[in-house]
Amino acid sequence: MSTRRLVAHSVQALARYRLRTCFIMVGSLVGVAALTFVVSVGQGAKRKMLTTVRQIFGESSIMIGAGGHQMMGGPRPGAARLTLDDIEAVAKALPEVELWDAQQTMSASVRRGDATATARVLGQSERSERVRGRSVSRGVYFDAGAVKRLERVALIGETVAKDLFEDEDPLDAGILIESVPFTVIGVLEPFGTDLHGMDRDNEIVVPVSTLMRRLTNVDTIAAARLLVKDPQRIEDTAREITRLLRARHALAVGQPDDFSILTPVEVQRMVGTVQRVLSLYLPLAAAVTLVVGGIVAATLMLASVNARVGEIGLRRAVGAHPQDIRLQFLVETAVTTAGGGLGGIVLGLAAGQLVATRLELGAVFSWSAVLLGLLMSGLTGLLAGVVPARRAARLLPADALR
Amino acid sequence: MIELHAISKTYTRPSGDTVHALSDLSLRIDRGEFVAIVGASGSGKSTLMNLLGLLDRPTEGRYLFDGRDVASLDVANQARFRNRYVGFIFQVFHLLPRTSALENVELPLLYSDRASTTGLGRRALEAVGLADRLYHTPSELSGGQQQRVAIARALVNEPDLLLADEPTGNLDAQSASEVMDIFDALNRSGRTVVLVTHDLAVAARARRVVRLKGGRVVADARPTEPKDALEEVQ
Ligand SMILES: Nc1ncnc2c1ncn2[C@@H]1O[C@H](COP(=O)(O)OP(=O)(O)O)[C@@H](O)[C@H]1O
Ligand SMILES: [Mg+2]
Repeated sequence: MSTRRLVAHSVQALARYRLRTCFIMVGSLVGVAALTFVVSVGQGAKRKMLTTVRQIFGESSIMIGAGGHQMMGGPRPGAARLTLDDIEAVAKALPEVELWDAQQTMSASVRRGDATATARVLGQSERSERVRGRSVSRGVYFDAGAVKRLERVALIGETVAKDLFEDEDPLDAGILIESVPFTVIGVLEPFGTDLHGMDRDNEIVVPVSTLMRRLTNVDTIAAARLLVKDPQRIEDTAREITRLLRARHALAVGQPDDFSILTPVEVQRMVGTVQRVLSLYLPLAAAVTLVVGGIVAATLMLASVNARVGEIGLRRAVGAHPQDIRLQFLVETAVTTAGGGLGGIVLGLAAGQLVATRLELGAVFSWSAVLLGLLMSGLTGLLAGVVPARRAARLLPADALR
Repeated sequence: MIELHAISKTYTRPSGDTVHALSDLSLRIDRGEFVAIVGASGSGKSTLMNLLGLLDRPTEGRYLFDGRDVASLDVANQARFRNRYVGFIFQVFHLLPRTSALENVELPLLYSDRASTTGLGRRALEAVGLADRLYHTPSELSGGQQQRVAIARALVNEPDLLLADEPTGNLDAQSASEVMDIFDALNRSGRTVVLVTHDLAVAARARRVVRLKGGRVVADARPTEPKDALEEVQ
């Protein structure tokens, strides 16, 4: 008895039960597609997250935000005031702080002639170029003098440049931010979207003093970023900052912080949580789908064995060994689920790429997703086939033929 | 060729009570015989056929095939024995649906260790007069034709022994007669044929008639004229 011939024969047999074969295939296809999709998109998202985090958050940065536990949102109404003086005092008191930059933001309408746009306007100091690691690709950054003199100069992102100037040269042109005239002196380096899906090229950077005095008319800041000298001691430095700020804000023991501090250690912890979700829980959820598909396959194969008892008896009568019967049903299940699995991999990768393109995650094809899909569909096939195949092989020929 | 010595087959039902399907049955069938097994329903005919074809094992007794004790063979060797020496024909044909006549006939070759199997299926179908129906599926064939495909399948490995359990039970008189013609011809060309039947007209075409009752042989007639054999067991 040649195994190769038997396998070929089993595959032909699948064609006789098209509907059942289709159901099993779909079951395995959905599961594998879900898994492949989740794994490929998850890996893309992870990669994106890590590069973005590295982009915006070096290992020696500390971020201070106004308001407690509001890091991502900005100050709440009634939140205690975080001022330039606060940050300056901290920087002066701690020699560990090498460089710092405070920031206030607003959303503003921008105009140039007939062209209008809405952009995020960031008030920053000249040190921002180094502290935040984002410079200009054309033109020049404003200097300390410009900040001191509240100059109305602006650095615009690529999106703003495109919206207002199309193909024209924006350098030295005049624009209106909330009706206040500014001169464009530089174009910011392109950034793309950040983790929140925000277009970081739709930004305008102006001197923080100008923004506070001429645009928002506030004397508080939204956030600050400090660069420390020794990344090893960054947690200690963060504790020192907390102590100093609490003292300056006259917070009593037991009162919560009215500001929030984010260190790379903290960020690593958050990233780790997200990574666990992306690389463990989501695939796990997808694997559940696969298990359901496997149970469907096993049930259908069991029904098939029950419906084909006569065939099994006949095969035994003409000389099939129980192992031949078992092999036949294993092969039938494995080939069907693997077929569905291959389809699922293609579908999952395609869907993953579609979503990834939408989210600007770049190409997400991953061999590990393909391998995992193949492995899992093969495994489901084997597991789903084992019980039916064993039942088929155990039938006594005389009983099966009755 | 076949010697059964004091064979008993006892089934134990799930409820615990036992059924003696065959009791202390001894039977000898020689090479080239054409035997009809008759008897009331439940008399043990199918059980006897299953034992002869090694689809089941006797509870007691010895089964010698060409002098060899085959009832005690292991599962693998029993499978090989069925494949090589026995051709089964059933009342309900047991053809694979949506599968051509030729593929159905070739099924036993799938489990054989023959080196070359080309042309065997086609030749077997020719032998039962279905050379022009090779690629018809069972649903495209009449009952009589389906049973002839099943006979071709039983013949494809050129077995010594043909076992047919009520082969004409599902056929009209005309088809039944055609099927019996085939058994007749096969027997004349030297094959040993054992068939179970209810139908006295069918039994009349055998050369020996064995009557079972309650799992025992109650009559066994082997005269020269088949018709006489039938009368004798009645
Ligand atoms: N698997 C089984 N379990 C229990 N009893 C059985 C089984 N097979 C057959 N029998 C019993 O054995 C007796 C003989 O059955 P069988 O050989 O099929 O008779 P026949 O073919 O002559 O009609 C019957 O009483 C039947 O009920
Ligand atoms: Mg019977």
